Amino acid sequence: MFLLDVKNLTLEIETTNGWVKALDKVNISLKRGEISALVGESGSGKSLIVRTIVGALPERWKITADRMTWKGQDLLSMSEKARRKLTRDEMSVFFQNAPDAFDPTATLGEQLRESVPDKMLDKGFFWQRKQQRDALIIKYLHKVGIKNHRQCMQAYPHQVADDVCQKVMLASALVSKPELLIADDPTMGMEITNKVQILRLLTRLNQTQNLSILFISHDLLAIGNMATDMTVLYCGQTVESGKMAQLRNKPLHPYTQALLNSAPSFRKDLPPKAPLSSLSGTIPTLQHLPIGCRLGPRCPRAQKECVKTPSPKKLQNRSYSCHFPLNRSIE
Amino acid sequence: MIAYLLRRLNLFVVTIFVVTLATFALNYLFPGDTLENLSGISSHQTAEYNQIVQYHGFDHNIVYQYGMYLQHLWKGDWGISSSSGNDIVEEIKLVLPATLELSVYAMVLSLFIGIPFGFWAGLRHRRPIDLGILSASVLGYSIPVFWLALLLILFFALQLGWLPMSGRISLLYDIPHYSGFILIDILKSDIPNKQDALSNAIRHMILPTLSIALVTATIVIRITRRSVADVMQSDYIRAALARGLTRPQVFWRHGLRNTLLPILPQLVLQFTTLLTNAMIVEVIFSWPGIGNWLMQAVYVQDFPAIRGGVLAVSIVVIIFTLLMDIVLRVINPLKNRDIHGTI
Repeated sequence: MFLLDVKNLTLEIETTNGWVKALDKVNISLKRGEISALVGESGSGKSLIVRTIVGALPERWKITADRMTWKGQDLLSMSEKARRKLTRDEMSVFFQNAPDAFDPTATLGEQLRESVPDKMLDKGFFWQRKQQRDALIIKYLHKVGIKNHRQCMQAYPHQVADDVCQKVMLASALVSKPELLIADDPTMGMEITNKVQILRLLTRLNQTQNLSILFISHDLLAIGNMATDMTVLYCGQTVESGKMAQLRNKPLHPYTQALLNSAPSFRKDLPPKAPLSSLSGTIPTLQHLPIGCRLGPRCPRAQKECVKTPSPKKLQNRSYSCHFPLNRSIE
Repeated sequence: MIAYLLRRLNLFVVTIFVVTLATFALNYLFPGDTLENLSGISSHQTAEYNQIVQYHGFDHNIVYQYGMYLQHLWKGDWGISSSSGNDIVEEIKLVLPATLELSVYAMVLSLFIGIPFGFWAGLRHRRPIDLGILSASVLGYSIPVFWLALLLILFFALQLGWLPMSGRISLLYDIPHYSGFILIDILKSDIPNKQDALSNAIRHMILPTLSIALVTATIVIRITRRSVADVMQSDYIRAALARGLTRPQVFWRHGLRNTLLPILPQLVLQFTTLLTNAMIVEVIFSWPGIGNWLMQAVYVQDFPAIRGGVLAVSIVVIIFTLLMDIVLRVINPLKNRDIHGTI
């Protein structure tokens, strides 16, 4: 039983050049208690996926999907109200760029209190509720490593450092005891001690409270030790997904290979002073997406067939979208 | 905060200084003999003339003359109107409140029209309703205020006969002067038919207020709409939505404040444009305000009055802008954002 199951999700957004498919047939699935990693370059649509799942997209954008379910309930056909309730009670999001994700004119405390759902408070009088909320919030602030909770809650977002903002964001995501945490680059720009602390906290919550995590990052090193599954995204297309260990050892898609190679600590055979490998070219802009496999123009193995979009192929419990996969003996 | 207040005060003093310099320069730019313009006395050999030469410091150099001018201004001696023979300060005290009254009502009205429509358009960004409101505001903005005033008179006063055409109150009522704001004066006074006078004054006020307010309202709509559209696309609104708040909750808790805070200074700035429009509209509606008064002064070449009127209006605008600056800063929670260093 999947907790979150997304199949062939396509998101069309309006640009000055007309409608563009920012996400093209993306597949993600996540079982209860899993930590799943979603990796890809900046601009590959990772954050768009997050916003699609929680329904924080502009209303004009077109979303189509064969399947987008949460515990078997269809998210797309759900009423706005039911969906809000569901996102409030069962999911939490850690947004990329935490300082921007807080209202600049409200104190952090006010915004943290908003994240505590009413059902977590016991039925006291309404004047006792604020205290109950605060007690919960303070507990979680301590968990994420903020000791000076009073000062932090009274501060406006611009008054605290960026990493404090990130920690507060994490506290506000965790305080509602979600079943799924969608963490969009939670450790971006953090120093290493803070980063280890946060990652350890997430791993512990996953083990003790069965918290499922969709971990979005380009920090392969952090993800590699935590995640059980990995989905690789390029330009709004899922290129490969499967078990972390398998993907690491034998990537099937050339892009996965390139991504792994670009993280030097993943390569044991890298001689000193050797040039670091990278794909030639840059990620295309939304206005100039190539047809077919979007990696095509940059792919070292590209051939004529690559102008057709490869359909996802299954191999045991992993899937890949490539006409000419690596590491596969010809059957 | 103290440093900020001192800086504002400094700006105030400097600006006033520049304005006095400009009005002082006017003396020499008016056609004709400078002293004759100022005093109205043309015969050069009389004892009276010598007295005036001394009074204005014309027997010394120009810096001394400016010093004398500042001294007179400071003592409240702004000269004598050459057309009516009255003290200019006294005349301004009579006409300026009428203009301010009109402007304040028009400003309030334009905010009450502009902000809700701006929000409506901004929340329905790029939908038909937004484009409709935007087109209407462009149309409203393009209509010259004097033409709009004439149209309103033509339609509501002449064709339909619903509202009076000109003036501030019917001549039947004699309202004693108290504050210069006619509604306050009526309420303060003890004339027999207060209710009638009040409704009469309000009926006189509708058309001029409307014609000034409409133009400003269209600007307010556009400013508000832009800000709403920007804020509703920002990360923290998305984050609040993802936290599970409903759209109305997100709007009232996070959208509203963030939308209004950055545009308040811009809205306040519209007051100066509005005051200019009010002065034009006064002439059309024969409203006894400073615009009308200044126009009369220009017609009859009453140079001391022009000088005094310009100075008075400038000072009002400067004081208003500075006060609003300070008020807005006090209520803004982000006031120290730029002072705190960022990495």
